[in-house]
Amino acid sequence: MTNIITAQNLSKSYGNFKALKNVDLNIEKGQIVGIIGANGAGKTTLLNSILGLSAYDGDLKVLGFDPYSQRDELMKEICFISDVATLPKWIKVHEAIDFVEGVHPSFDREKALAFLKETSVPLDKKVRQLSKGMIVQVHLALIMSIDAKILVLDEPTLGLDIIYRKKFYHHLLEDFFDEDRTILITTHQVDEIENILSQVVFIREGQIVLTADMEDIGENWMVLNPPAANVDAARALGPVSEQSVLGRTSFIFKGRTRAELSELGDVNRINLSDLFVTLMEGR
Amino acid sequence: MATQWKNDQPIYLQLKEQILAMIMDGVLTEGEALPSVRKVAVDYQINPITASKAYAELVDEGLVEKRRGLGMFILEGAKKNLLKAEQEKFLTEEWPEIIKRISRLGLDPKELVKASENNTSH
Repeated sequence: MTNIITAQNLSKSYGNFKALKNVDLNIEKGQIVGIIGANGAGKTTLLNSILGLSAYDGDLKVLGFDPYSQRDELMKEICFISDVATLPKWIKVHEAIDFVEGVHPSFDREKALAFLKETSVPLDKKVRQLSKGMIVQVHLALIMSIDAKILVLDEPTLGLDIIYRKKFYHHLLEDFFDEDRTILITTHQVDEIENILSQVVFIREGQIVLTADMEDIGENWMVLNPPAANVDAARALGPVSEQSVLGRTSFIFKGRTRAELSELGDVNRINLSDLFVTLMEGR
Repeated sequence: MATQWKNDQPIYLQLKEQILAMIMDGVLTEGEALPSVRKVAVDYQINPITASKAYAELVDEGLVEKRRGLGMFILEGAKKNLLKAEQEKFLTEEWPEIIKRISRLGLDPKELVKASENNTSH
């Protein structure tokens, strides 16, 4: 496997505020990576550094390029949807396609048109006249028709209803993703993406608290729901955290086997939002 | 396809179980091609790695084979082998438990036979 993103000692300050603190990160080709953190944890700063949109301290290589000084080269291989990205209200859909074709050398106009043909988006309407769902589809059509090695999605489904969110990830897997491409996603709707991720990066206060393959998380982290009689025995195995709901205690374990835990009660896999909460509470 | 995954097992194992059930029920037949990893990933909205892992398990168990450039195919005899394995599992794991329960409840085997005849003939 080849690393397509490597960061060493990556830091970024805004005045006195340290948005990223000595971040080390390796991301391999062919991964779908979720970057998860609370508001202000540094997710967008990390993505902006990777995209070459902001200066930083430390070493960062994306597809072999230094993103800040070689941004023009990098932009041929990478594309992104930002949470603040809005297409200009006055532009017509077909003009937006003309524009991207003009500025991006690896844009495939036919692919974008074919994609939009499947939707109800009218090509001769201005962005102002489109519904929010349609605007996202225009975004998608533009982005997915760029033959990019890395796709960066910063809160891509913000403000969309559940149907469009599902469609979005469907297209992402069907029309864009393959083992030669890599996707980085941040979102607050962790539940919706956790099954499509292959890797996850948890970030808190500018530092990476955990980066792991989803497979390893499934093997290392488990939730145990023991009957009342086994609560003490469970506690003796050294859980990372415990929680009582309606008189029933559940424990989160790291590094215990399913076999040893299942002697004490029902073992469940952990979901990312529970893992997130556990990691954010721990110090 | 919207699938509600359960919490107790990893998704790749649940996917494998679903495919096994489809082979047992004859929804998927021997010699038939399984859908591509990409198709499974898209339909179930899971990472392709998860889908390949389920397929790899089926290959390891000798139920499915990979044909280069063509995809995954259900092997001849898969259903028979699967049925045999399930019978074996029932006889060694589940049946002894049931026998224990029958004797705990003090049931007479003759009554049980009668009850099951009534049940199957309707």
